[in-house]
Amino acid sequence: MIDNRKCIGCHACTVACKSEHDVPIGVNRTWVKQVETGAFPDVRRSFHVMRCNHCADAPCTEICPTSALYTRDDGIVDFDNRRCIGCKGCMQACPYDALYIDPDNHTAAKCNFCSHRVDRGLQPACVVACPEQAIVAGDVMDPGSFISQLLATQPVQVRRPEKGTAPSLYYIDGDRAALEPLATDNQPRSVAVESKPDRHGCATSTADVRPLAGLGVAGFLGPEGAGAGKGIPRKVYDAPKNGTLWGWEVSAYLSTKAVAAGALLVPLLALLVGGVAVSRHALMLAGFASLLMQGATGALLVADLDRPDRFLYVLLRGNPRSWLVRGAWILSALGAVSSAWLASVCLEWGRAQTVLAWATLALCIPTAIYTAFLFAQAKGRDLWQSPLAPLHMLVHAAVAGGAISVLLEAARGIAGAEGHLPLARGLLLSGLLADLALAWAEVALPHSTAAASRAAELMHTGLLAKRFWVLFVAAAAIACACVGPLGLPVIAALLALLSLVARNDVWVRAPQMVPMS
Amino acid sequence: MSFKDRRRFVERMAESLGLIPRLGGGDADLPSIAGPQGLVAFPPEEQWDDWLENAAGRWPERSRRRRMLVPTTCFNCESACGLLAYVDRDTLEVARFEGNPRHPASRGRTCAKGPATINQVKDPDRILYPLKRKGPRGSGEWERVSWDAALADIGGRIGKALREERRNEVVYHVGRPGHEGYMDRVLKSWGTDGHNSHTNVCSGAARFGYALWQKYDRPSPDYSKARFILLISAHLESGHYFNPHAQRIMEGLNSGAEMAVMDPRLSNTASMATYWLPTLPGSEAAVLLAMAHVLLAEGLYDRHFVENWVNWRDYVRFRRGQQAAGATGDAETHAGSRGAGHAARATHTATARAGRDAPAHAAPRTASIVSGRAAPASDTGEARPAGADSAAEPRFEDFIALLLSDYAAYTPEFAAAEAGVDAAMITQVARRIGAAGSHFAAHTWRAAGSGNLGGWAVARAMHFLSVLTGSVGTEGGTSPAGWNKFVPELPHNPPAQRLWNELHFPKEWPLCHYEMSFLLPHFLREGRGTIDTYFTRVFNPVWTYPDGFSWIEMLSDEAKIGCHIALTPTWNETAFLADYVLPMGHGPERHDLNSYETHDGVWIAFRQPVRREALRRLGKPVEFTWQANPGEVWEEDEFWIALSWAIDPDGSLGIRKHFESTDAARAGQRLTVDEYYAHIFDRVPGLPEAAREVLLSPLDYMKRFGAFAVKTTALLQHAAALPPAALASARTESDGRVVAADGATLGIIVDGVARKGFPTPSGRQELFSATMTEWGWPEYAVPTYIRSHVHPANLDRARGEFCLLPTFRLPNLIHSRSGNSKWLTEISHRNPIWMHVSDAAHLGVVTDDLLRVQTEIGHFVDRVWVTEAVRPGVVCCSHHIGRWRREQDPKGNRWAVNTVAFEKEGSRWRMRTLSGPQPGETSDPDTRRIWWKDGGVHQNITHAVHPDPVSGMHCWHQKVTVSKAGADDRYGDVVVDMEKSQAVYREWLSWTRPGKGPPGLRRPLWFNRPLRPADSAYRTERA
Repeated sequence: MIDNRKCIGCHACTVACKSEHDVPIGVNRTWVKQVETGAFPDVRRSFHVMRCNHCADAPCTEICPTSALYTRDDGIVDFDNRRCIGCKGCMQACPYDALYIDPDNHTAAKCNFCSHRVDRGLQPACVVACPEQAIVAGDVMDPGSFISQLLATQPVQVRRPEKGTAPSLYYIDGDRAALEPLATDNQPRSVAVESKPDRHGCATSTADVRPLAGLGVAGFLGPEGAGAGKGIPRKVYDAPKNGTLWGWEVSAYLSTKAVAAGALLVPLLALLVGGVAVSRHALMLAGFASLLMQGATGALLVADLDRPDRFLYVLLRGNPRSWLVRGAWILSALGAVSSAWLASVCLEWGRAQTVLAWATLALCIPTAIYTAFLFAQAKGRDLWQSPLAPLHMLVHAAVAGGAISVLLEAARGIAGAEGHLPLARGLLLSGLLADLALAWAEVALPHSTAAASRAAELMHTGLLAKRFWVLFVAAAAIACACVGPLGLPVIAALLALLSLVARNDVWVRAPQMVPMS
Repeated sequence: MSFKDRRRFVERMAESLGLIPRLGGGDADLPSIAGPQGLVAFPPEEQWDDWLENAAGRWPERSRRRRMLVPTTCFNCESACGLLAYVDRDTLEVARFEGNPRHPASRGRTCAKGPATINQVKDPDRILYPLKRKGPRGSGEWERVSWDAALADIGGRIGKALREERRNEVVYHVGRPGHEGYMDRVLKSWGTDGHNSHTNVCSGAARFGYALWQKYDRPSPDYSKARFILLISAHLESGHYFNPHAQRIMEGLNSGAEMAVMDPRLSNTASMATYWLPTLPGSEAAVLLAMAHVLLAEGLYDRHFVENWVNWRDYVRFRRGQQAAGATGDAETHAGSRGAGHAARATHTATARAGRDAPAHAAPRTASIVSGRAAPASDTGEARPAGADSAAEPRFEDFIALLLSDYAAYTPEFAAAEAGVDAAMITQVARRIGAAGSHFAAHTWRAAGSGNLGGWAVARAMHFLSVLTGSVGTEGGTSPAGWNKFVPELPHNPPAQRLWNELHFPKEWPLCHYEMSFLLPHFLREGRGTIDTYFTRVFNPVWTYPDGFSWIEMLSDEAKIGCHIALTPTWNETAFLADYVLPMGHGPERHDLNSYETHDGVWIAFRQPVRREALRRLGKPVEFTWQANPGEVWEEDEFWIALSWAIDPDGSLGIRKHFESTDAARAGQRLTVDEYYAHIFDRVPGLPEAAREVLLSPLDYMKRFGAFAVKTTALLQHAAALPPAALASARTESDGRVVAADGATLGIIVDGVARKGFPTPSGRQELFSATMTEWGWPEYAVPTYIRSHVHPANLDRARGEFCLLPTFRLPNLIHSRSGNSKWLTEISHRNPIWMHVSDAAHLGVVTDDLLRVQTEIGHFVDRVWVTEAVRPGVVCCSHHIGRWRREQDPKGNRWAVNTVAFEKEGSRWRMRTLSGPQPGETSDPDTRRIWWKDGGVHQNITHAVHPDPVSGMHCWHQKVTVSKAGADDRYGDVVVDMEKSQAVYREWLSWTRPGKGPPGLRRPLWFNRPLRPADSAYRTERA
């Protein structure tokens, strides 16, 4: 519990923690956020200690593919960096920005309530250091403990209760302006600290800096936009942020996976469900293309890991609740089954072909859409919580499948000969239209949370707007025209793939630009 | 909670097959020491020698570490909070520092700077060996020398100077002290008046204001029991004794006290206050006197205290005398006409410099309260006009009537107009102070006192409130600092020196409370003297002081400073200009004795080299501290002993004997630090008994626990009855003073009992200061408001003139010493100019735009931080940041240091930043990860010296002209014109009043002085 009646913003906790855990420069397990409200002379500064909330329902432990993060019986959310593969899923799942990647061992770390001290009977290092005893540690289950008495007698606040994580970190006298990340401006630099480049080398100034209250009141406040003078609470001190964690590798993986699934989906759907003839060559080509893309998908996934050497842990130390692990199972299954099917086609195994084709087709669907569930486990990013996300992924598989089928056939130089091409063109067109419709829904329809609205705005009006309107919307619209009235399916397919890549890129990046703390 | 194996079947199989590494639980679980109250803060003392803990970095694998817990004290700010070093028993590395629960002031807690001590110990760029310059001074070329060679050379130099009776040419200039009495003993043994300190750029003004009242020059507020706290300081984020005071201020507030804070900037302290009074810089005394006015007018004062413990009779007599003289037209004693003189001149000259034609009478006539007017009888109703019968014995009612009359001008409305705050709030705060009565705790330190011309009047006016409320020395009130500070008995106490060093205490400032240290370069330039051997110790005037280029020029001139020896653990801007750089230990690598007035009580703490103590406990004691320190890092205690032997190897100078063993068995051998501290600790009341209880010697007790509470409370000492023995040959004067046969005031009679009183000439709190009248400042005979050099009348807002408040500190940094701490620098590394939204709009700038800040002698270029948290018309720039090195200088403090280039053209210096802090390879991987490139801007070097003509304090606030930066201006630029610097010095010098005191006396005898010489030295040869 943080007793804000006592906190004086001295940073003793920050440094005591750095000392206890030898936390490297550039990252923090605990830090002090300072927010100013009001206008001179009725202005006040409040101090809020930010850190892991040790949630009773911790999303980081759920998404963690290797159970490197786990909840102890006493409620502490601890971690074992020997298991961590550096996937950064936890950092997307945590709505409180509590985690970071340790630059020395490239694994995730955060406040673990000094569990190594707690097990020895000692208070966490920050609790001991705090000059004001404003950090209260104790057993809330023991009604006699000081913390229980405080809880019983003082009104308390928690950060972002709407996330449903049941935080175990309470604030007495918590100020909404500080606890709610969108209540203030979010200038990347603070009064005594400059902005820090994120892991992709961008200054964190590329993040969204507008205070929520400022939208409508003062419009877009540029980087100069301290809320000072505008009656908006101002964040005046904060620790450097993680910035964008999942970059091009992840958005590219979404696209290669869509292609991998779609390449098989279209011909197999036509063959097995539509009953149209698809040549053995066309099937083989689709199969090889898919395997190539599956390989690329796997390679991108491993490349995105900060500990690629541990990629096998996903399967061997897997956390079955994590969609990252389930996804690995699905991808592995697809890889195995589609390889077998391809072999059966190449070697003309007869009946086995059909069984394997059905199995492959069946696996294409979860391959296409499982990522929606993975992103949904990333509880910190509101835009990814959309119930339409599985549909979105499926639509992408359709677009990718349509496009790749068109391109493969064009490459063979006998376009139009194969029976699955009408379906491919149909899926391409309808998929693009559906994708545009989904994008329209994201832009135009109200979102359930402010962070999701902000992310959506960032896509179409903010820093990502160019990519969104030109590379996605315009490309998709032209592709529609090409596949339809203009009859230029190859160009349509190329543009469709471009729009897919752009769409995924924007969709992956935008929510990560919305501050979480 | 024991290690829980979370591996599933597949994982176990994969581990068995060797596909992935096997993850185990490591060592067996260590037992929990949690008690019935749950988790505890510290390991139990009986396990301090051998404490087993879980390694944080290997968790959740159990990996045990064996530590030894060794107490010491922090050496970052002055508080000397307790630290416990966790020393690894196997490697003897210090793992980390936590608080020491035994320490009575810090109580086991620390601020950010305490645990960051480990950064300083492990600083990859620290200086490990003695260095001597190779090329010309300041060329950046150094060679390693042996300690023996350095000691022989320096000792020989000093010995020669002493033999040639150039004793005052040997000078020790200290930034952060931190050992009780040690250097006084050394310098006295050398017979030199060679102590110089930083105090007049720090707290000299507040000290002077307090000392005028009661000789004690520091306050010791009992915050935790106060009902109302008044601060003109930022004690919740900085200030002396930050951590101990912040704990107790918040305890007071959480127990229901209210707090008022005066500060033009919303400090963290102001933000926690019940009442924030964003007073215009320099107006604070007006507000305080208005509060005094309210207390008087509304009868909210403590009559018993004021009547018995204040020298009001002297005041009434003085005023009657004035009125009588006024009636005969004696203008010389008519203080009213002179009252405004000082401020008038400041106002006039300031405006004249600005090139405007301001009338001299723009001076604040209201500021002169000793106006010569008779008090109107109606003020108190029954009282007769005070001046009516000058022969009669003064009555208390006459005094109150007189006071009301004299302070009549200080209405809340007047103060509100001066300060730019609400009059109703001033009245409200005054009433709350009155209601708190004896539980009113007040503190001003640095802040307004250090910022303004006449800033010392702020402390004096603040203490007026403590006196009126009778809260001097009470529970919840404010005690004189001396009551809460322990004075040790040292071995071999050499006699006081018989010299007077005019470079430190020049004739122009006979009342200056501390040395005029920041004028040293000007004094040397004027030919007032030279220095043969100059020690700087944890002292960095080139960077910290105003007018740093004067220091650069002085230190570069070998004719002025023969040999400059920098005693420092790490590189700094001053050490670049040394002849010797001698590495001294950080806090946990040295010995010191600490005792500070942090709260009601008296304590001592022992700063000790923790590895030395660990080795001792392991049965491997070392003879000298450096043997336990990294490289050849010495500690000063041993250095001064060794140096004194080198100065006087055969004892012929009479110095060596003071540094010989106190142990008869070792007679004639070198004094050891153990002997030195054993001598002191054996004589601390109560310590030998406490040590005996745990079967330790007093010295070993301090080595083991690090601190001892000498007294747990020390209130109301002025009221203590004098012991009958002291009264044997004493007589009582008509004014109630009890005087010894030799004329010394022993105490005063109050309520019929001879009591200790206060150590002033009157034995009482001195509302009226005869000293001020005797030494040429009669207009300041009583607490007064003096208009500052940055008073709005001296600023032309329309021309972009602002008051720059350059002194505010951040809670995690400490002057120029925290630059080698990575964790502290990461938290703060830039110092933009705080400017109010309205001013920024007027200038057309937004946050991060470049500003040129023009001072009297030059300018600097910095970015702007637009905020609501500062008063319009005031700009602020944080202290600590903007460190630099030139390209030729060694790397040090790399977390904080800009690389700069200097140019000199005529009398103009220019400094340009070539680059900010940069990542680089060292033994610490974090140096690769320095992600900030902004090292801030060095502002102090563009400030002119502003010696207050009375207290001698440097008045830090600056009148500046702020404008958008020009096309050629670059971030971090600094330009200073030395001719202008000298002109400003001469101007302020001209405001002093030398030669006004009693003939033949350099300084009031009752005034203390650092390294107080023999009384004979207070007298000039004429006397």
